Amino acid sequence: MATTIEAPRSPYSRAPRSRGINWEKWGWMYMRASGLVLVVLIFGHLIVNLVLGDGIKAIDFAFVGGKWSNPFWQVWDCLMLWLAMIHGANGMRTLVNDYASHRTTRGILKGALLFSVIVLITLGTLVIFTFDPCPAGAPADLLASFCPAS
Amino acid sequence: MTEYADGSVVDGVHYHQFDIVIVGAGGAGMRAAIEAGPKANTAVISKLYPTRSHTGAAQGGMAAALANVEEDNWEWHTFDTVKGGDYLVDQDAAEVLAKEAIDAIYDLENMGLPFNRTPDGKIDQRRFGGHTRDHGKAPVRRACYAADRTGHMILQTLYQNCVKFGINFFNEYYVLDLVMVSDGFGGQKPAGVVAFELATGDIHVFQAKAVIFATGGFGKIYKTTSNAHTLTGDGVGIVWRKGLPLEDMEFYQFHPTGLAGLGILLSEAARGEGAILRNSEGERFMERYAPTIKDLAPRDIVARCMALEIREGRGAGPHKDYVYLDITHLDPAVIDAKLPDITEFARTYLGVEPYTEPVPVLPTAHYAMGGIPTNIQAEVLSDNTTVVPGLYAAGECACVSVHGSNRLGTNSLLDINVFGKRAGNSAAEYVKTAEWVELPEDPAAGVRTLVENARNSNGTERIAIIRRELQESMDRNAQVFRTEESLTEVTEVIHNLRERYKNILVQDKGKRFNTDLLEAIELGFLLDLAEVVVYSARNRKESRGAHMREDFPTRDDVNHMQHTMAYLSGDPMSADAGDHIRLDWKPVVVTRYQPMERKY
Amino acid sequence: MSTATLDSPPAPADDVIPTFTVTLIIRRFNPDTDDEPTWQDFDVEMYPTDRVLDALHKIKWEQDGSLTFRRSCAHGICGSDAMRINGRNRLACKTLIKDLDITKPIYVEAIKGLPLEKDLVVDMEPFFASFREVQPFLIASSKPEKERIQSVAERARFDDTTKCILCAACTSSCPVFWTDGQYFGPAAIVNAHRFIFDSRDEGANVRLDILNDKEGVWRCRTTFNCSEACPRGIQVTQAIAEVKQAIMRGKP
Repeated sequence: MATTIEAPRSPYSRAPRSRGINWEKWGWMYMRASGLVLVVLIFGHLIVNLVLGDGIKAIDFAFVGGKWSNPFWQVWDCLMLWLAMIHGANGMRTLVNDYASHRTTRGILKGALLFSVIVLITLGTLVIFTFDPCPAGAPADLLASFCPAS
Repeated sequence: MTEYADGSVVDGVHYHQFDIVIVGAGGAGMRAAIEAGPKANTAVISKLYPTRSHTGAAQGGMAAALANVEEDNWEWHTFDTVKGGDYLVDQDAAEVLAKEAIDAIYDLENMGLPFNRTPDGKIDQRRFGGHTRDHGKAPVRRACYAADRTGHMILQTLYQNCVKFGINFFNEYYVLDLVMVSDGFGGQKPAGVVAFELATGDIHVFQAKAVIFATGGFGKIYKTTSNAHTLTGDGVGIVWRKGLPLEDMEFYQFHPTGLAGLGILLSEAARGEGAILRNSEGERFMERYAPTIKDLAPRDIVARCMALEIREGRGAGPHKDYVYLDITHLDPAVIDAKLPDITEFARTYLGVEPYTEPVPVLPTAHYAMGGIPTNIQAEVLSDNTTVVPGLYAAGECACVSVHGSNRLGTNSLLDINVFGKRAGNSAAEYVKTAEWVELPEDPAAGVRTLVENARNSNGTERIAIIRRELQESMDRNAQVFRTEESLTEVTEVIHNLRERYKNILVQDKGKRFNTDLLEAIELGFLLDLAEVVVYSARNRKESRGAHMREDFPTRDDVNHMQHTMAYLSGDPMSADAGDHIRLDWKPVVVTRYQPMERKY
Repeated sequence: MSTATLDSPPAPADDVIPTFTVTLIIRRFNPDTDDEPTWQDFDVEMYPTDRVLDALHKIKWEQDGSLTFRRSCAHGICGSDAMRINGRNRLACKTLIKDLDITKPIYVEAIKGLPLEKDLVVDMEPFFASFREVQPFLIASSKPEKERIQSVAERARFDDTTKCILCAACTSSCPVFWTDGQYFGPAAIVNAHRFIFDSRDEGANVRLDILNDKEGVWRCRTTFNCSEACPRGIQVTQAIAEVKQAIMRGKP
């Protein structure tokens, strides 16, 4: 007898409640809190970069270099990086949960997501805090014009 | 008995064992379960998921003389019930009903029912048809309510409490037989019930020390009805086929305000809140018929007056075939707060805006006053006095009789709570000392034959057509007005339909969720019950309550101040109903109130 | 006074209510014989005032008796006949044919996310299991002699969520529920809300704790499908949001 029945992806069996940290709750709160902070950070970023002063024309290597020599902008950009990456990744996670029907696919996609987030955050943070526009010992023709000639 | 142990499967039949089996998960069934469940091993078997039961469609309220908003007492309530039932009410039972109403309301409130409240936080109450102050002096506010969803709230609250107590439910199991065995003293007693599991098509035998029937009514014998499609009188029909009597089956209530053409109920609460019935001339015609309480007269009277208005050419609409329910003078805020659902029905189904337009209404078949006779302990009777040990009935399927020949509005929600509770308690008390009754050999044999015969029906007659012809004939001949002639006509129709029923077609031959098969079996019960209704109605040659004989227009207390008892006494297929239905009388219990003329 | 012809005028033409042919395309599945559900067409003659349920009945009663669906009260109170009609969850008995675009066929299929049993019938057990889990009953220790006192305002606080008929239209329209069926679902949360905000109830914290779960309210992504699907007009998404706030506050 053929009894193929379209079922939900997994049978209804709620796992016993774990007493650990409720990541869904904190995730939910994080999304809202980070969203609010990101609105301020991103619009601040856009205004400073694109509107104030000479606006978009002012942006060049020196402009970025100048900003990252200031600890205020280092913290600003670092916060933006972390909040946005985690916010976006968590959003992607819900999409994966919704649309990836197989356990293994879900696992692979979420693993890849986690990996890329870690790599991007690590790289980005490193860049923000170790950025040196005029590295010592670099060939002169590669250095920016404002660098003191070595 | 070991061969039928709990959980065993013999020849494809599943066997279960419970102290108490309740058939039906509406208000009465679940109220009984809440009493019985904590005291005995109880199962509730229902054709539907419990929250689908038709208790949920009740709207207006539940009567109890709480006196929260004005002076009232249960004795007045008893009197109104007796008078409303045109003195065919067993007065001891009515007294129980009115007295225990008060606790029944508090029980529900304590279980969590969200009643509407008065400004000081008590349960609010409103007016309802036939409920009066001091023996008929003026309408009284007695109906406790939750907007126009009182039944919905009762059903949900009872189900919630069944969840709380962890009651065993067998949902979508259709009980088809009651297993009766000899009690050794010339009588019979129940050993259990046999059910058909809709999801799988398997047969289950539930062995039980006590069985409670709470299966509701059989409004589907009529075409225009407020009843659900599933109200086909299965429980009453099963009891009937076992040779047990049915009481007062001729009394069927027609609710005055069904949406015209559809039969969907518009609560009497509308009139309790001030709605007015008007004819085509805009006249408030109830003033002529019931000068004291006007639109709040009992349902039998209002339904009859509406039919008279239409008959005398004062009906409204293009065909002059309905009257209007007018709430346009009420404040929209009041309507929204107290009558939200029924106004939505008018909008959805008739496209009428009740704030500004009157709503077309017509009487609709609503409630069976009669049913399985019980005493006030909810014990089923096998004749006028003999109790069937271990068998109980409560709710619309039962006839205690608290409603006599016409039930008052709000007394049915009360009935299910008071007598549902009593049935649960009586059964729990009974099973403490009762022994298991041994099941007969192959107790499922009858049901297996019934189901397989239906499944293998390859005739030419469509179930729906036979059912419609039955319903149309019942509407035409056995509705608000009846005569010997009309009743004779419908008797013949039923006999012919029975013949045709032998030749039905069931197209679905599958096992799982075979609702085609289900409808075929339900139709069998409808035909049986319609015949009892009509046969009992022919025999009552008087007009009383909901039973209006135009050829005998007055009440005859000398000959007919007694209950009808009908027994299946022969082959139901025989041409003459008299060959297989035996009628008898049962005296009415009179305590305080002698019959008087019924004036409002 | 008048001629015979005037005495008996012919019935006016507008007296006859016109019928029209509607095509229903129904997703059929017979567990005894089919591997996969298939779509099947039916043509029925209907009146404008008829409902989708009437059309289904007409098919079952006149054409194909094996068409299977649940129904009972037929006026939107019992919650039996929630189904997906033209891609939206509705009650068949509350959906008038004239309110749909009848120039096109009407698509009818079972609600989604619950195991399909036959034609338009699904297994409701997972739905009710999740309802039972939120402790949907009054938890109160006091034993009053009469009724408990509750002000009109306190009663109004949870009025909206008392209207639920457990038809599953909301839960089976929720994309989060569709994913794995483990989410409590809007209906269970609505029924928890009904007690969390009932002034007589003392179990709010128990229920808030139950719903503060990884399958609880936090999975709601406010797509508003549930509010749109609810045949009783309950503001479901709002109720869920109120429960979230109550969890964060730690009290109703």
